[in-house]
Amino acid sequence: MNDTIVEARNLIKHYKDLNALDNVNLSLSANRIYGLLGRNGAGKTTLMSILTAQAFATSGEALVFGASAYENDAVLSRICFIRESQKYPDDFQPRHAFRSAALFYKNWDQDFADRLAEDFQLPVKRRIKKLSRGQLSAVGVIIGLASRAELTFFDEPYLGLDAVARQLFYDRLVEDYAEHPRTIILSSHLIDEVANLLEHVVVIDRGRIIMDADAEDIRGSAVTVSGSADKVDAFLAGRKILHRETLGSLASVTVDEALSSRERNEALELGLELSPVSLQQLVVRKTMAGFGTTSTTGDFADDTLEARR
Amino acid sequence: MSRTMAVARMQLINKWTYLGWPLTILAASFLMSLAIFALIPVNEGKYGGGSQAPMWYFMVLGIQSMTLVFPFSQGLSISRRAFYLGTLGLFSLIALGMTGIYLLGGVIEGATNGWGVNGYFFKIPWVTDGPWYSTAAFFFIVMMFMFIIGFWFATIFKRWGSNGTLVSTLGTAVILIGLAALTTLLEWWGHVGNWMGQQTPLSISGWAALLCVALAAGSYTTLRRATP
Repeated sequence: MNDTIVEARNLIKHYKDLNALDNVNLSLSANRIYGLLGRNGAGKTTLMSILTAQAFATSGEALVFGASAYENDAVLSRICFIRESQKYPDDFQPRHAFRSAALFYKNWDQDFADRLAEDFQLPVKRRIKKLSRGQLSAVGVIIGLASRAELTFFDEPYLGLDAVARQLFYDRLVEDYAEHPRTIILSSHLIDEVANLLEHVVVIDRGRIIMDADAEDIRGSAVTVSGSADKVDAFLAGRKILHRETLGSLASVTVDEALSSRERNEALELGLELSPVSLQQLVVRKTMAGFGTTSTTGDFADDTLEARR
Repeated sequence: MSRTMAVARMQLINKWTYLGWPLTILAASFLMSLAIFALIPVNEGKYGGGSQAPMWYFMVLGIQSMTLVFPFSQGLSISRRAFYLGTLGLFSLIALGMTGIYLLGGVIEGATNGWGVNGYFFKIPWVTDGPWYSTAAFFFIVMMFMFIIGFWFATIFKRWGSNGTLVSTLGTAVILIGLAALTTLLEWWGHVGNWMGQQTPLSISGWAALLCVALAAGSYTTLRRATP
């Protein structure tokens, strides 16, 4: 469990007018599935790029397998990071890209890649620049899965993929992970879809890590209490409120705390209703709390719709 | 080392990019030149510049290896060093092979009196007048130069964007104009002319090779900090 393979220390990435990463400290262990969650532009891709030495930090240290990945073949050969906007050589077809990956990943499984291409109905003999957005994503997903790199990053791998293809990806990922354990970092803003896959969740917002916890610990770490407003408020007085919604005399309040069974009974006796908070809701609420907005129409809902188109 | 080799092999997976297209361009340009030579009713030797056609494609290859192949190599976690050495190594081999074709073409051309129509495609006055190794060096260096200049400009573009490219292009132009102005002011054109007159294809290759090495070294230092 304490087999740390990624360690970020005080990572800062400063662009002209913004801090893409603002003092990020992170430590990831071997053989787990991590979710790197956050809004667009929160710093997810920047963080992954710096860990894999595709980009450079302004200051701080990023260690992968105990060393910096920069120009370090021993480390690089164990990493795969196909970015969301990955570019391919001009004349390349998907099958060329797969054969390239086979040259560099010692665990590359060509049969697996072929099966995945069939599953995703990917035309492997069409030029990559003529592929649709979803097919382009499929190329990246297949390279990521079939390379079986010890540390694999998926950067919003579902863009343009339809619901069936996305489910296929999640299924294949879990199946293959069970047979060939490795460390997977899945960057996503479709949180509900991936929530069940994740063993550990890292939420990044405006360059800062705002949540870094085991998925198990997060489930049930927050609760929504609803009922008549005065009763709800009285019951929750002094607690850490994440979000509050009212409709007439009714209120629905989310608290960032777990309730003991005694408190649960007490709530039920008062006629209050308790409901669990999904990972997505929790992330949205926490992000918004940090942002200081009280708006109920978050970008997450928009993104979800967008990706499903 | 093996990863450097793999970079070269990777770029040969699609045979068209480095083999098919240069040969197709050369063949097409050759056939067109021959057709034109045959149509010109003159009995003296006819020279065309068609053999330079593949050179321009090499510049495109140089640009694309930086703008497209480099980002792809980063996705496969290939170090910048391995990418650079593998790509430049592969290109040297291609340039060597093409030089061989040019030399062979020149020999056949000479033996058949210009393909029977007195037309010269591979033979270029002055350039190919010297011994075979001078011709070989010239072709090889020119091909390398085209590739490296494409690669170099693309590295500048990747690293500093269009502003950087603009500044470096304008900067180069300003320096050249400045040198010309200086030469005029100091009335050195006579010396320059003399110097030019003394150059042979071999010595020009030497100077171009020096420039290639400088640009190649420059692009490597820029590439070391480039992001995909």
